[in-house]
Amino acid sequence: MSASVRVRRTASPPPGLAQPVHTQRFPNPRRDILDADEKRAAASRGYGPGRKLHPFGGLNLEPAEWKLLILIIIVAFGVRLFRISKPNSVVKLALSFDICHAMCCAFLTLPVDRFDEVHFGKFASRYIKSQYFVDVHPPLAKLLITLAGWLSGYDGDFDFKDIAKVYSNVPYVAMRMVPAMLGVFTVPIAYLTLRALECRATTALLASLFITFENGMITQSRHILLDSPLIFFTALTVLLWTGFCNEDKHEPFTESWWLWLTLTGLSLGAVVSCKWVGLFTIATVGLGTIKQLWTLLGDMRVTPRLWVRHFMARALCLIAVPLFFYMFMFWIHFAILSNSGEGDGFMSSEFQHTLRGRWMADTNADVAIGSLVTIRHVNTQGGYLHSHPHNYPGGSGQQQITLYPHRDSNNDWRIVNATESGDPYVDWEKGPITYVTSGTRVKLRHTSTDKSLHSHDYRPPVSDVDFQNEVSAYGMAGFVGDANDDWIVEIHKGDDKDRDSGKRLRTLRTQFRLRHALTGCYLFSHKVKLPDWAYEQQEVTCNKQAVMDNSLWYVETSIHPNFPADAPKVNYRIPGFLSKFLELQQVMWTTNAGLTDRHTYDSRPDSWPRLRRGINFWVKDHRQIYLLGNPIIWWLSTASVLFYIAIRGFLILRAKRGFRDFENTKVVKYDTLCGFLFVGWSLHYFPFFLMGRQLFLHHYFPALYFAILLCCGVFDLVTSTLRPRVRLQIAAVLLIIAIWNYAYFSPLVYGNTWTKAKCRKAQWVKTWDFSCNDFLDSYSDYNAGVGAATPQKSPAVATVGGEAGGRGAVVVEDNLGGAANLPPEDKADTTTIAFGQAEPGHDIFGGNDLEKSSQVNEPAVEPGEQEPKEVSVVMAAQQTSGVVQDAAEPDAVENESEEDSTSEAVPDATSDSQPEPEKTEGPQGETEEEAERARKELFPEERFRWRDSSLGTVTISQTGAPSTYRRMVQRAVNGSFVELGLLLLASCGVVSLTAINPAHQNIPLRTRCMPAKDSRFRIISQEWGMLTDGTYIKPQQATQRQAYPLALQEDRHMHCSKPLTTLLVVLFTLAMGVAARPTPIECEPPGGGDNDRRRAVDMNEDSALVPSCVV
Amino acid sequence: MAGPQDTPPLRNRRPGRNSPRIPQSDLDDDHTVIHPTGPRARSQIEQLLDTDEASAVLVALLTLLAFALRFYKINHPDQVVFDEVHFGKFASHYIKREYYFDVHPPLAKLLYGLAGWFVGFDGDFKFENIGDSYTEAHVPYVGMRALPAILGSMTVPIVYAIMKESGYSSIIAAFSACLVLFDNAHIAQSRLILLDAPLIFFMTLTMYSYIKFRKYRYLEFSPEWWMWLIATGTFMACTWASKVNGILTVVAIGIAVLIDLWDILDIKKGHSMEYFWKHFMARAAALIALPIILYLSFFWVHLAVLTNSGPGDSFMSPAFQETLRNNEMLLNSQEVRYYDTLTIRHKDTRVFLHSHPERYPLKYDDGRISSQGQQVTGYGHDDSNNLWQVIPTKALPETGRGRIVRHEDVVQLLHVNTQTLLLTHDVASPTMPTNEEFTTWPKDDHSRYNDTLFHLRLVDSHPGAALRTKSGLFKLIHVPTKVAMWTFPGQLPDWAFKQQEVNGKKEVNDKTAVWFADEIVASEDGEVKSVEEMGHKEPKQMNFFKKFGELQLLMLQHNAGLTASHPYASGPFNWPFLISGISFWTQTEGQKQIYLIGNLIGWWTCVVGLSVFIGILGADMLARRRGIVPFPDEVCNRLWNSTGFFLVVWAVHYLPFFLMGRQLFLHHYLPSHLASALIAGAVLQFILSETINFPISIRGPHTRPKPRQYADVGMKGPIIVGVFALAMFALYVYLAPLTYGTPGLTGEQVNSKRLLSTWTLHFAAKTTDAAP
Repeated sequence: MSASVRVRRTASPPPGLAQPVHTQRFPNPRRDILDADEKRAAASRGYGPGRKLHPFGGLNLEPAEWKLLILIIIVAFGVRLFRISKPNSVVKLALSFDICHAMCCAFLTLPVDRFDEVHFGKFASRYIKSQYFVDVHPPLAKLLITLAGWLSGYDGDFDFKDIAKVYSNVPYVAMRMVPAMLGVFTVPIAYLTLRALECRATTALLASLFITFENGMITQSRHILLDSPLIFFTALTVLLWTGFCNEDKHEPFTESWWLWLTLTGLSLGAVVSCKWVGLFTIATVGLGTIKQLWTLLGDMRVTPRLWVRHFMARALCLIAVPLFFYMFMFWIHFAILSNSGEGDGFMSSEFQHTLRGRWMADTNADVAIGSLVTIRHVNTQGGYLHSHPHNYPGGSGQQQITLYPHRDSNNDWRIVNATESGDPYVDWEKGPITYVTSGTRVKLRHTSTDKSLHSHDYRPPVSDVDFQNEVSAYGMAGFVGDANDDWIVEIHKGDDKDRDSGKRLRTLRTQFRLRHALTGCYLFSHKVKLPDWAYEQQEVTCNKQAVMDNSLWYVETSIHPNFPADAPKVNYRIPGFLSKFLELQQVMWTTNAGLTDRHTYDSRPDSWPRLRRGINFWVKDHRQIYLLGNPIIWWLSTASVLFYIAIRGFLILRAKRGFRDFENTKVVKYDTLCGFLFVGWSLHYFPFFLMGRQLFLHHYFPALYFAILLCCGVFDLVTSTLRPRVRLQIAAVLLIIAIWNYAYFSPLVYGNTWTKAKCRKAQWVKTWDFSCNDFLDSYSDYNAGVGAATPQKSPAVATVGGEAGGRGAVVVEDNLGGAANLPPEDKADTTTIAFGQAEPGHDIFGGNDLEKSSQVNEPAVEPGEQEPKEVSVVMAAQQTSGVVQDAAEPDAVENESEEDSTSEAVPDATSDSQPEPEKTEGPQGETEEEAERARKELFPEERFRWRDSSLGTVTISQTGAPSTYRRMVQRAVNGSFVELGLLLLASCGVVSLTAINPAHQNIPLRTRCMPAKDSRFRIISQEWGMLTDGTYIKPQQATQRQAYPLALQEDRHMHCSKPLTTLLVVLFTLAMGVAARPTPIECEPPGGGDNDRRRAVDMNEDSALVPSCVV
Repeated sequence: MAGPQDTPPLRNRRPGRNSPRIPQSDLDDDHTVIHPTGPRARSQIEQLLDTDEASAVLVALLTLLAFALRFYKINHPDQVVFDEVHFGKFASHYIKREYYFDVHPPLAKLLYGLAGWFVGFDGDFKFENIGDSYTEAHVPYVGMRALPAILGSMTVPIVYAIMKESGYSSIIAAFSACLVLFDNAHIAQSRLILLDAPLIFFMTLTMYSYIKFRKYRYLEFSPEWWMWLIATGTFMACTWASKVNGILTVVAIGIAVLIDLWDILDIKKGHSMEYFWKHFMARAAALIALPIILYLSFFWVHLAVLTNSGPGDSFMSPAFQETLRNNEMLLNSQEVRYYDTLTIRHKDTRVFLHSHPERYPLKYDDGRISSQGQQVTGYGHDDSNNLWQVIPTKALPETGRGRIVRHEDVVQLLHVNTQTLLLTHDVASPTMPTNEEFTTWPKDDHSRYNDTLFHLRLVDSHPGAALRTKSGLFKLIHVPTKVAMWTFPGQLPDWAFKQQEVNGKKEVNDKTAVWFADEIVASEDGEVKSVEEMGHKEPKQMNFFKKFGELQLLMLQHNAGLTASHPYASGPFNWPFLISGISFWTQTEGQKQIYLIGNLIGWWTCVVGLSVFIGILGADMLARRRGIVPFPDEVCNRLWNSTGFFLVVWAVHYLPFFLMGRQLFLHHYLPSHLASALIAGAVLQFILSETINFPISIRGPHTRPKPRQYADVGMKGPIIVGVFALAMFALYVYLAPLTYGTPGLTGEQVNSKRLLSTWTLHFAAKTTDAAP
């Protein structure tokens, strides 16, 4: 493990003899010359290596080598940064990969996303906007990317969501520069590491150039991904550790010894702060440390006191420092993310309370008869005890009781005394204040519907078992109710610091159960979702055999009008940094462990060293980016690992039979060197076999780095007896082969032009699944750009639509302007969604057309328009000419050919397989392609005309939970335009639409929204058809008690009828149009909404902040 | 039991077992601190206990007790308990000679079958459900349960013998034996028809044989040496053949043998390479070749006994099934010809490929749109809508073998009732947007001809193989879009009468996309041979090795597939601490239950012993690294080599479970618990006395004599062990109602027996649920 070995034999030039070695043309090959380069260096300075000469960190560099290093950096710079700005659209990025996306499906409500550039770019936006999010990776690399973006003036407004949208106002190049530059600097680090390991300069050069021309590493470092920082810090750690080992061998406890040790610790902290894979690096260094300590322990000259000093120094620098660094990163993370965001749902209530926007006002500490309370379930994240004016379809048919995660007036319950005669719902106002204690018999009144919490002998809708009873809301205003409304409070436990909380009900401090007075069952909830008719909220039942944990509740807010103003108040305890840190670690761990879904391009570790298969990052415009290593470098590195194992095994056997190989200086030197690298390789590779989660080829890169160094170590060994010039020649040959390979596969790295024939020829291994059919037949076709785009038939099927297990690559065929040549019939036969778009001069709020379009299965055809089409979700008018023109734009992406094949095959079936939005395993590729098409159809700004309706102007701002918003955008991008429309609708009063149209991100979007008297926009629910009566939501409907808040709580599909969809999409289109108009912001003063719902739209917006503009 | 005094006071070079770590400590006499305690210098009690007679009495006592504790009320409960439902059933299959399939190798089950046959079980009782009464069915279950009880009881004296042979004092050996003897988990497990008792019995025998073999290492290639080597191999094979977990015993012995061989290879021993190869070959023959032959022969017996068709048929390949008498496939298989009308079934879900005139709804609930084509579904029952006719796509000869449907043919399937052709196309299926919809198309409309073509690919077949009913599994690959016809247990909504969805799956290699032709209903000329006409068919022959290979592969696959969660499954980390047990059986009447849980005192003692031992090893390593010799080399060697072997056995039988994804239960720890009992004994000896019995190996012709010493744990040994055994016995009695399932317990009693709050006992009184 230690990095070098002491010279046991003096090299040939005697000390003091300044004999230039290059004159000695034929050094004796038999002799165990330690290092020709070093010898030369020593000789040129006038002394031999036998003399104690200790350069800083054991790095013995020639002045010429520094020049060489600069040259290498320049080369690496060129290779890594070549056309780095080229994929200038999000689309390209959108298909890059990472693991995070499985998180979404695996976990709660978090929008799970593609794991890709979009993903990490999005995080950068979150940082800049300080919106809380949760990711499975620690924050360092993301912070670096953010920093780059921020320094370049990125304001966080670009959403990274809109597919195929060209980056505008996003310093994406700056953000990509972070991984790219770190990738570049990995190269000199590799050089220095090998030099510090006492390899020859030739070897070090070979290694650094191998790293430079490793296609996989290049690909990975050209995008906003975390692997490049990870590899960089891993490499840095190895270098620093090697330097420390050299120092340690020379003399411990010197200043430079401490310096190298501390730097190693910091670097270790940085590795593990990029990705948890960094733990393997820690293991590598840890193993090295243990070996050092074990050696020291056996050294009888080291006194126990000195040994303890060694031990403490390492413990301090290699355990405490990294830990501190890691925690510091999270401290920064928390400090930046002070606002509520999409990650809220993962965290505990206490944690959420620390986020701005999630903050809760102080509330009365005591709960008395008559208090208006909200009640939360302790054990699940289901939320508040909730009711709404919808009835159970089965069972008693009474009003539903659910758990609902968001704050809402439907969560309010009034606690009244059940033992009094008279009308308890009124009497509480007159009576004295009576606290609720254990054993108090109470009724719970749902204030907005005037019904009481009720249970009776009906089976619950989902958990249809004998020992559970249905819970419903029952009663009416003025009706006292019956004994089935009575519940007995049982206090389970109070808070240690609040003595009263064990005796009487105290807000936030007391956990209690509610026992049904007549049947003795306990109010209970569990992670079971009710079906659509209850908006998939969480089921609440009354359970006779309730598990304790799931029947515990606590009061979150309590208001009593009769309490004096100075009544004691409470709030959540604000968790300290440490408890927040630990909680987040736990969330990350669970999420990470939950990433077990299969992915189309995932692979198992055993296939990595063979380079069995790559990852398809992006396909577009007959170009693609495919993560594939440089085969020669890759296979050479694997071969050298095997070579090392074989040689080492052989040597062990020989040693056992009495051969004294291990007393040979050369053997010892190379054994130490290669052994260290081999251990590094093993520890970065084998642990993956134990992981059940999704794994990808790029997880091998840290191990590959070690393998490449090992490969060069083996090269150094094999060529150690050769003359320097021969060695250089061999290295040059290897390099030329590697560079040729690099060049051969470089179209896949940079997304360059290629031809089908060349591509097929390059498929050396059958399992390399880049799709050759996507390339054109010849290079000239790329320039021509027209006609050559022969619509492909079925072959592309392989990639479009993905597979059940994961998201397939998207082959997005671009006909490069050829669309104009296509007959309109092709358009009409498209199998994907055609989007409605208001034709000029048509007032959608007038409604008649809408009604028509929504009720008939035909588009609202304008006279003279094309023939009707059937589409799966929406039928709407479409202006053929406009679309075709759009398609003719060079950037546009179409997949006509795909559709052609489909539609030919199925003349009467126009439905395409549209992914269900909540399923991430669905064919996301298709999603993006649809989104792309939709985008084009939605934003033909120049032809869109907006006409004011009578409803007045509403400016939309962000008033609802951003997570809701995120989720919706997420879904929208995932391809369900139903929900994109919903997004619009919901955004009236719930969220800001600013980010939906990235092209105009600097213009706050406005749209029309119906006036709602309530502070929040409400949609008349359940019967979506109501919305289609021509005017969409009527104000008087919105104020009805039946109004139901748009319940978007869980990650799930909204079922909407087709007419509604039509409406929504039209609305969305309008909104986009409005957004496109560069008009100044109009904002009405905030209405009487809750304080906590109001938040600034955008920190960086220079215009006046747009508070919640509620109509 | 061979005590150390059997062997003459010779100087042996190395006591106990070898370790590569201290390869030459025994050659280095300067460092050995000898405590030459003569046989007479020991305490009275030690001398007394060390005699053959005392040893025999101890063993007899322990064995008797073991039999008593394991046979006590063995007839209770007279119902099928826990996994008896499986293993009892397998025994009945052996008696009926009906083929079954199980993930475990056959030896233990063969023994049960043998026991059942011996006591007159006729095999008619099928052990269908836990709780089925034996008495009512007149099953001689006591005889069958006696077998594991005997094996479990015999384990106790073997444990004693292992400790004795390893050189520990008699009383220490008794201590280890008591840890197993009074253990409720071992007792509960060996009173029932389960595989663990034979497994543990053979495992202890393997360890014993190997230790004996090691003691003869200075008499290499002597008859005794060979005998014990072969015994090790034999018992190893038996362990392995009893239960899949037995492979761990093989690994444990393998590790010990490798360490041993590594020592022999050491140049400092002065052995030549020929000598090494001789040793290597001897071990390879006895510990690799022999066990494999035995293992195979158990399977040979297994397959030779099970010659009739039985419940295991459907697991096997058609070729295998045709070797079973009265197998359906054997009886009914016939070649399919073009224009035959047949029914097609899905292999896994057993539904028929079905179609009916109803059409797919235009729009599904999630907004996607269908082709509105005719529905194609999977239907579980016989129906005339299940009939399909095979239409050729090539020219056929008028008659003869050319009309047979063969592997790799491209065919069309005609739905007979509606005269439409099966078709699939790039339209999303009703419930899975990623899969293709299957529908049909009028026969006469040729516009969609290409979409009606299907590639018939027989599974595991060769070119030119004919499609046969029942036995010929095939995939139907759509020619233009390359999807495989597939179905899964997912119901369609009401519009398709809740039938099963059939769609096209893009993963053509999916193992669940396999169908077979069930029956030929009518051939072109209207003649169908009935089963009777085809006559009685003799089972075909198949190479034993082929059969074995297929069976073994299936066993591995199914073992890995046991991942479904089970309420009593527990993680390996909980096991040594006895965090939770397994409820084997409950009877509401009388509130009786059997709950597999160990003797808390015993298990925790073992854990303490283990941690102390690891602590000693760590301290020894550190001290020696600093040049300090904490205890004499003999003691050190004994710790590293003899106890170290126990530790290897423990670790090998325990740690791999951390890597396994399958269901894990407490009883998987029992072999490791036994090993930890041995370690606990060794640690007790180490704590009580620095002296050991040394040397214990049989002296060879060339070994230098060494001064002999005798272990002496003095009076305190028997007292400690006695008190400990009493405490264990008391706790055993206390927990006995849970182990024996009788007598019944009241709720309060159950609560009081619940020593750890994590034990999930039944019939507990609900004190916790009362108001606070």
